[in-house]
Amino acid sequence: MEKVLNLKKYGKALWTRDLAKDIREELNNLLSGISIGDVVVIDATGVEVFDYSFANELFGKSLFGLGNEYPGKFLVVEGLTTYTRENLIKALESLNLAMIERKKGKVEIIGKIHPAYQETFKVIAAIKDSISANTLKDKLNINLTAANERLVKLTAMGLVRREKATSTAGREQFLYSALR
Amino acid sequence: MVAVIKKLDSVSFDQFLNDHNPFEHAESKFNLGGVKLVTPGALVPIAAACHALASSGRAPVITVDDFSVRSYLLRCGFTDMVSRVATFDPPYSSFLSSAFEWRRGRNPMLMELTKIERGSALPALLDQVVWVLRHRLKYRKYDAYDVATAMSEICQNTFDHNRNTCGFMAMQGYGQGTGRFIEIAVADSGEGLRATLARNAKNGLIRSDSQAIQMATRLGTSQYDDPTRGTGLYHLLEIAYKHQGSVQFRSGSAKTRFRMDTRRGWSFQVPPMPGLQITLTLRSKERP
Repeated sequence: MEKVLNLKKYGKALWTRDLAKDIREELNNLLSGISIGDVVVIDATGVEVFDYSFANELFGKSLFGLGNEYPGKFLVVEGLTTYTRENLIKALESLNLAMIERKKGKVEIIGKIHPAYQETFKVIAAIKDSISANTLKDKLNINLTAANERLVKLTAMGLVRREKATSTAGREQFLYSALR
Repeated sequence: MVAVIKKLDSVSFDQFLNDHNPFEHAESKFNLGGVKLVTPGALVPIAAACHALASSGRAPVITVDDFSVRSYLLRCGFTDMVSRVATFDPPYSSFLSSAFEWRRGRNPMLMELTKIERGSALPALLDQVVWVLRHRLKYRKYDAYDVATAMSEICQNTFDHNRNTCGFMAMQGYGQGTGRFIEIAVADSGEGLRATLARNAKNGLIRSDSQAIQMATRLGTSQYDDPTRGTGLYHLLEIAYKHQGSVQFRSGSAKTRFRMDTRRGWSFQVPPMPGLQITLTLRSKERP
């Protein structure tokens, strides 16, 4: 399931941390109302500018708390303009954070992320269904430990979805997929 | 012999205070005698200083003799802003005030001296800044947003280290052609950077105002133990760099000036004054 937080209703220019605090309350309500594995989309369509304090409070604080307060739930942003995207990336980078941006049905990671994780995410996002660590290691030509380490990291950052499954050999395994 | 200051700006303001610092003398006097031009970089700190002096039970007096400066102070909102806390010498006669009354709508500044009392007032003020830059200077949208973002970060910083005080801001454009620039000044009479940052034990012992300024411009240094704080002044420097500008931070008895062509900061010892004063100078992006 997916719920949408429409930022435009708060204005096309979103200034200050105080405003972001109010919006974050709504975001937290949405996150509380969804189930594990579900997504809240922050739709920035129609928003022309937000300052760094706003971005830090809304996006930064929510991402910092996501893993602890809402484990297994996801946060995605869409509808960014060139300008808001640039500012959000700078804000996330300065906080050492990354998040998923959805753009024309495709997903990518914005913010601060190691190129190896970015590469891994791209492989996962390019696959229609889900992928196991074993398949991923072959696609990236890395060993299984490295593949698992990358997947664990991306999962912990709330950037990929992990589900339990059974392998063809009957063993329990995790499958990873990107949000759509 | 004291050299006469003709242009009172963020640089000569130090000499101005050096000649007579009301915070170090019993007499709360700001002597603008001989001054022919005042820029926001000095005007805004003087307004904040008057309020600081008044809050400690003193009665500041501002001496202004030059006719054009007197009329400028009236038109840019300075006299209104300090009328309850300071007096002028000679006083503005009712005749002179009314003579300029008709010009009130012709504010000589891009943004007149404005008191910032509540954070909730800031969004409307920033929208106004965008409007002024877009319509009076024909800025492109994203350039105007950059300036407003920079101002937003400065002003929010002002609230962060203000306790029961208020901030002031003003914006003005100067120069001609490719040399044209805008000057934005924000000042408060709060506790200043050193005392503010010292509230967070993680910042350790801060030995000087100069060190406090350095720390404040570093990513992640804040009075709060919050990972999403402490980025505002860092981003301010980034915007100044993008717009080939400079930023001056003045807090306590230190001043650091960042010139963005080299991305370096030069620190100076200056006459002490409460609060934090930030002057941002950006190359104008106005279109003909």
